[in-house]
Amino acid sequence: MKFSTMLARSARTLAVAALAVPAFAQEPAGGEGQPGGAAGADEAKKDEGDWFAVVNGDVYSGTGAVLRGATVLARGGVIRKIGHDLEIPADAKVLDAQGLRIYPGLVALNARGIASRFGGGEFADTFDPYSQNLILALAAGITTVSDSGVAVKLKRREVKGVVVRERYLSTLSYSSAAPRGKSELDAKFEAAARYLRNYRDWEEQKKTNKDLKEPAARGVDSTIRAILENRTMARFNAANRTDLLGIARLAQKYKFRPIIEGALEGWTVADELGRAGAYAVVVPRSRRDKSEELLRDGGSSIENAAILHRSGVQVAIQATSTFIDLGGIAGRDVLHLPIEAGFAVRGGLPEQAAIEGITIVPARILGVEHRVGSIEVGKDCDLILLDGDLLHYQALVQYTVVDGKVVYEKDKELYYAHIRPRPTAQPADAPDARRDKGEEKPADDDKPTESGDEKPAEKPEEAPEEKPKDGAADEG
Amino acid sequence: MRLNSLLLSLVPAALASSAFAFDLQAIRVGRAETVSHGVIEHAVVLIEDGRIVAIGPDLPIERGISVVDRPEWTVMPGLVLPYSRLGLDGRAGAEFTPEVSPSPEILPRAEEYEEVLTFGITTIGLYPPGNGVPGQAVAIRPKGETLEEMRIKEGAYLKVYFRADARSKKTVKDAWAKVDEHDEKVTKAKEKWTKDQKGKGAKTEEKKDDAKPEEKKEEKKDEKAVDSKAKEFVPPAADPKVKPFLRVRDGKMLPLVSISAAADWAHWLDAIGERKFDFALRVVMQRELDIYEVHEEIVKRKCMLVMEPELSYTTSTMRQRNLPAEFANAGNKVVLIPRGEGLEAHETWRAAVGEMVKNGMKREDALKSMTVHGAALMGLDKDYGTLEKGKVANLLFLNGDPLEPGTKVVAVMLDGAFVHGEVRQ
Repeated sequence: MKFSTMLARSARTLAVAALAVPAFAQEPAGGEGQPGGAAGADEAKKDEGDWFAVVNGDVYSGTGAVLRGATVLARGGVIRKIGHDLEIPADAKVLDAQGLRIYPGLVALNARGIASRFGGGEFADTFDPYSQNLILALAAGITTVSDSGVAVKLKRREVKGVVVRERYLSTLSYSSAAPRGKSELDAKFEAAARYLRNYRDWEEQKKTNKDLKEPAARGVDSTIRAILENRTMARFNAANRTDLLGIARLAQKYKFRPIIEGALEGWTVADELGRAGAYAVVVPRSRRDKSEELLRDGGSSIENAAILHRSGVQVAIQATSTFIDLGGIAGRDVLHLPIEAGFAVRGGLPEQAAIEGITIVPARILGVEHRVGSIEVGKDCDLILLDGDLLHYQALVQYTVVDGKVVYEKDKELYYAHIRPRPTAQPADAPDARRDKGEEKPADDDKPTESGDEKPAEKPEEAPEEKPKDGAADEG
Repeated sequence: MRLNSLLLSLVPAALASSAFAFDLQAIRVGRAETVSHGVIEHAVVLIEDGRIVAIGPDLPIERGISVVDRPEWTVMPGLVLPYSRLGLDGRAGAEFTPEVSPSPEILPRAEEYEEVLTFGITTIGLYPPGNGVPGQAVAIRPKGETLEEMRIKEGAYLKVYFRADARSKKTVKDAWAKVDEHDEKVTKAKEKWTKDQKGKGAKTEEKKDDAKPEEKKEEKKDEKAVDSKAKEFVPPAADPKVKPFLRVRDGKMLPLVSISAAADWAHWLDAIGERKFDFALRVVMQRELDIYEVHEEIVKRKCMLVMEPELSYTTSTMRQRNLPAEFANAGNKVVLIPRGEGLEAHETWRAAVGEMVKNGMKREDALKSMTVHGAALMGLDKDYGTLEKGKVANLLFLNGDPLEPGTKVVAVMLDGAFVHGEVRQ
């Protein structure tokens, strides 16, 4: 049932969801078979490590699917199963997510000062697994960041394996403000494309004519060649309509997918960017006036993300400030990624796309979507458990899980423990402090309904403006 | 009888030459902080040849033995300051020079040494300057006309400056890689040598053929055993930069690893990998220090710690904590050093440590932190740091509790001779 509605969505979501289907398809088998058995189907990871399970939560997998009261089962930090009535090994660490929503850990692009004390790349050697910034980021639901172009997992109390991918992106400049650089880049692309064409021809002809010489790679820019061969992705920083248009045309001509950071006027050329298969990294709250000299559309628009998304551009959302900023006006730094995404929703971006914009899309941009960005079998068990809708301003991260380990628990940490402590934080069988000894225990089913129903009920009442009506994440 | 200070100054010069035979000397005081065996009231310390030959309550003193009788005094072991740059002003960059000693920097008779001796500091460990692996510390007595008179031990510990960065980690990894290289060289040389021996001596070797594989294992384990068995084999000499690490590996010298955050600890462990060797930590006390995050691991590894006697705060809070006490109470040896490099900090050292006691450190641990633990860091705890039979007679006499701020030094004995204070016999 759930899956059929899911599959009815747009083609792109379908493609993503298709990946998730095998995971859910295992569901019925999961109840019977050995928990380890199904995990064996996973390619890379071995059958070892500690079991970890999150139970009773509503799993918002990030692929569009929602499984209510489901279990996420992981071993050795990798998700092995998602579904209902799973058999949980006796030695598994179990986290009860009753009344909570489970989302994939957030991916923050260009976040500075979180991964290391000193910065400057080389995070395998400088990562600070005890820093306060790290705890703050985990409290904000961020489990992966990119800093200096390196994708870093926010592990706590561990330094091994934090670097997920090194410098996947290649930064290029293609702006009408620097016409010479622009024409040079044109020439480089032309040369690289010609070389690759010749190379392919040579490979083909080699079969019949062995004496044929390999085409010379001299003078071919290695970065551009790597872009055309899909070994790296081209990243541009562009805001103006003309620059965006130029990049879109360049990408269409040479058939690569550009990543465009900023894309402030992207909404004016969204169709071209969509045709180029572009990724856009936008800051929904950034504003700029239209240039008065121009007649055509320009300047920033709150609808930017929504329009780009409608045109097929994959939209990643970045916060106004890339640092953790504890001064000035609150709510604009990297710790408020979901709030930033909320502004895109205000401008018409579907909620599902907004969530993808802070999870799987940035993961794709960093080339780490096989590890993080959604809750799927075979991916890293990086989860965040919230007491409400991720995009709701009132929702707080209650738990953060990285690699199947609880690395942040709100009620136990310094920063947010005092804000709306969870009533169900107490285990059901623990003695209730509010009652004296000998007093009768109230009906047990009181507690779960309290916590479970309260949050969704109060949301539409308190924040009707924040939530567009099409909460079902329909993209049409 | 009164010895005046002029006479006193003549004594230590003679001290250095062990040929000088000392008469048995007795000191009777009101109280002795032995550090090793608690407090002895009405203690008598017998000293001969610069060493303690007996200590106990109301020991009988034979007639004819010179006696210093001061019931108002408290005696404790002379203070051992193992981590210092006192009197040295050399500078260095981030070098990898594990073979270096700061001895050439030392100026005998420098004022600082004479001064700290009057504070009761009788043993000092001086470390070479610089980041990276700047070299090995030297243990000295702060008195002497020449370096030889002052020097107690070279290679007291290996100073390592470690930060969570690529450079530090590479330095550590490279150093151990060189140790492996050397080991391989030794093994190869031995194999070659064994082969040669086999070729020469015919019958005896052949008989042993069955036992051969086991024998080889033994060889690798214990070089010395092989050396004694076959006298001619000499392992190839180690590079001077490798030697210190061989001593570390063999447990003959502790590396003192300077860290300043929990992250440094995590990356240090990552850098040393699976290697098993003991090391001590130098933790620079700061207002906020997150080293408590790795408390359990440091306790598990039983690392000795060198810290300033200071309180700090839990990061991002105003929650005060006593990290030295936390580690000492968990069973780690904690060496406390003066809060600063100035002479005043050395003078108030005892009082600063006393503050730690007021904030939860055990008195016993506090006294050890200034004496025997420091000696242990330098591998000198057999001879220094406690009042026990057989130990070097470095004694500090005070007019009260050593950990009270008002308590004054009344006399100091170095190697069995009074070097400070008016002593009436």
